[in-house]
This record gives sequence, C-alpha cells and structure tokens, in this order.
Amino acid sequence: MDREDQKNFRKWFKPSWSYVTGAVLLSVLQVITLIVTQEPLGITSAFSYWAIRLQDVLGFGTPAQLTMVTQLLGARETLWFEENLVTLRNLGIILGALLSALLASQFRLKKIKSGQQALTALLGGLLMGYGSSIAAGCNIGAFFSGIGSMSLSGWVFGLFLFIGAFIGGKLLIRFLI
Amino acid sequence: MNLNDQKKDDFAKQFSVGLVLFVMLLMVGVILFQYAPIIAFFWLSGLGFGYILQRSRFCFVAAFRDPALTGSTAVTRGVLVALALTTIGFTAVKYFYHLTSQTIPGQSYIASIGMNTVVGGIIFGIGMVIAGGCASGMLMRIGEGFEMHLITLVGFFLGTMLGNNHLQWWNNHWMWIKEGVFLPDLFGWAGALIIQLLVIALLYGLAIKWEEKQEL
Repeated sequence: MDREDQKNFRKWFKPSWSYVTGAVLLSVLQVITLIVTQEPLGITSAFSYWAIRLQDVLGFGTPAQLTMVTQLLGARETLWFEENLVTLRNLGIILGALLSALLASQFRLKKIKSGQQALTALLGGLLMGYGSSIAAGCNIGAFFSGIGSMSLSGWVFGLFLFIGAFIGGKLLIRFLI
Repeated sequence: MNLNDQKKDDFAKQFSVGLVLFVMLLMVGVILFQYAPIIAFFWLSGLGFGYILQRSRFCFVAAFRDPALTGSTAVTRGVLVALALTTIGFTAVKYFYHLTSQTIPGQSYIASIGMNTVVGGIIFGIGMVIAGGCASGMLMRIGEGFEMHLITLVGFFLGTMLGNNHLQWWNNHWMWIKEGVFLPDLFGWAGALIIQLLVIALLYGLAIKWEEKQEL
C-alpha cells in the first residue's frame, strides 16, 4: 500500500459519521429488518434463550418459557444458531464493529485496569440482565423498537431508563470517579 | 521513525487485517445464504448494525446519561431523530399490512406494561451507566477490543437467568396492562403518528434548550 492509496483509504474509513447519519442508517436497517424478518431489531432474546437452555441442561427450576424451548429442541435436528437467529445477529454486531474499528485503525485491546473495574462491569451486566429480562428488552428491543412500533410500553420503559441513568450517573460520581 | 510514520504503519496494518476480515465475513455470508437466505440476512444485518454503531459512535447510554452528567444532548438528539424516522417507516409498513388485511408484523413488540416495566427500566438504566454500555454498546465495544465488556456480558447472562425465573412472579403480581397498548388503537393511525412525532419534536426542542442553558 503506497502513500497515495493510504491517504485515500484514510479519507474513506477513518472519519466518524455524524449522529444523524447513524440515526438515518439505523432507521433504514430497522425498516428492512421489520419487512424481511417480520420483527424489529432486538438483542436480549438471545441471552434469554441461552440462559434457559443452560438452566435446562443443569436441570434446576422451570421458568415459564422453558417448555417452549424444550419443545423446539426436540422438534428437529438443527444447527445451533438456527433456533435463535438473534444470536447469529449479535455475533454479527460484534464482528461488524470489529471490522469498522480495524478499517479505521481504531482497534485497541483495552485491558481491565483493576478489580474494581471488573466488579463494576459485572454488576452493571447483572443489573441490565435482570432489568431486560423482566421488562421484555433493552435499549434496542424495548425502547428503540418499542417506540418505533408505537407501543406505549416503549415510552414507559424510556422514561424509567432516563430516571435509572440519572441515578447511575450520581452513583458514578459518588463512588467511582 | 517519528510518531507520524508509526501511526501510518499502524493504519496500514489494521486496514490490511480489516480487509481480510471483510472477505471472510462475506464468505460466511455466502455459505449461510446457500443454507437459507433468511439466515444470511440475520448475519449481514448484524454486521451492518455493528458497523453503523461503531462508525457513528451511536451510544444509547450517552443519550440518557449525558444530558444530566455533562449537559451535552448531541447523542440524545441523534436518538430522537432515529425514533422519529423509525416510527414513520414502521407505521408505513404496518399500515400497508393493515390495508391489505395481512397480519401486521412485529406486534409482539407491543409489550405488556406493569411494575416490571418501571423497575426493569430503572435497574437497566443504572446498570448501563455504571457498565458504560447497554446491550448493543457492550457488543460493539467487545468488537473494539474492550476486555471489560466481556465481563459485562457474563453478568448480563447471569442477570438474565435470574430475571427469567422471576418473570412469572412479576407477571402474576405486578401486571397492569397485559396486552400492552398499541397507540393507533387509541388514537387512530394518523392521530397516533402525529401525536408521537409531536412528542419527539417537543423532546428535541427541550434537548436544544437544555444544551443552550448549560453553555450560559
């Protein structure tokens, strides 16, 4: 790759897009996804699916959805990702972001700095996992797709997300920074 | 070698790896397409989703957190634009299915409303701010190389397992509107669309005012 090429590639892949560009492209992707898959974008149903499967394997408890999954499991021989295509899409999100970061030379391996940081990451994940599984989704499925689908639940969830984020910000200032 | 040359070298290296990855991802797409087009669609739409999120630094956490924490509403306004555009697109698609008497797609996302929506929202809001990423942001940052968000993913999974087992309890005791509320059922298609877009516009105006107030 000579200097001139490099300059051109940098121009194409290095600059960030504006938030509005991102908003337009995400909306286009949402609408195409609704038409093709008959459902809007969602992420957390994949976590739910695997949590239920793991619980089934370990053999403790029977959450309400467990029967549904075991029926699916017994029904046919399938590739692992075919029963939950959302998992495949989530994998795509990780690799799509990796691709974007590499092309812009923004990939950096960021190591965990301290035990406190690891604990915060774990706690934040636990809270999000619990919250999304009782409220039927995350920022994408319950909020973005919910409001896009003109569901009142999306607005209610969004209002309390805002309150939660405010509390989280206070905690961040009080304990972590 | 000065710093500038080093930077250029790093660019060439990462870019080359990126090109190889791009070809590999497309090849997987082709293999999946031969298996079933819909599977390839999930794969490619995921890649597109991740690419857009990373390139535009679109972060739902920042949209909720920054107005109070830093006073900036740039991301918040970006999210509001996305909400407005997606509302218009979804409503057009849904209305078309309604007119042609077909089953309206995506109606399973009209979720029930209850205390679980309230508590879930608050808990999720706290979690995403202290973890520095929500579900999509976490996946995006794993791709960018953040080890911390792999731990968040483990936590997310464990939290989901716990929540799954409590879901029945929440539904039995704290459900307010089981079938959820599809706004066009209340206000008609045009009415709901207009009201929702007006609310989004109002929030957009508030976001501009809020940021101006911070700068004074």
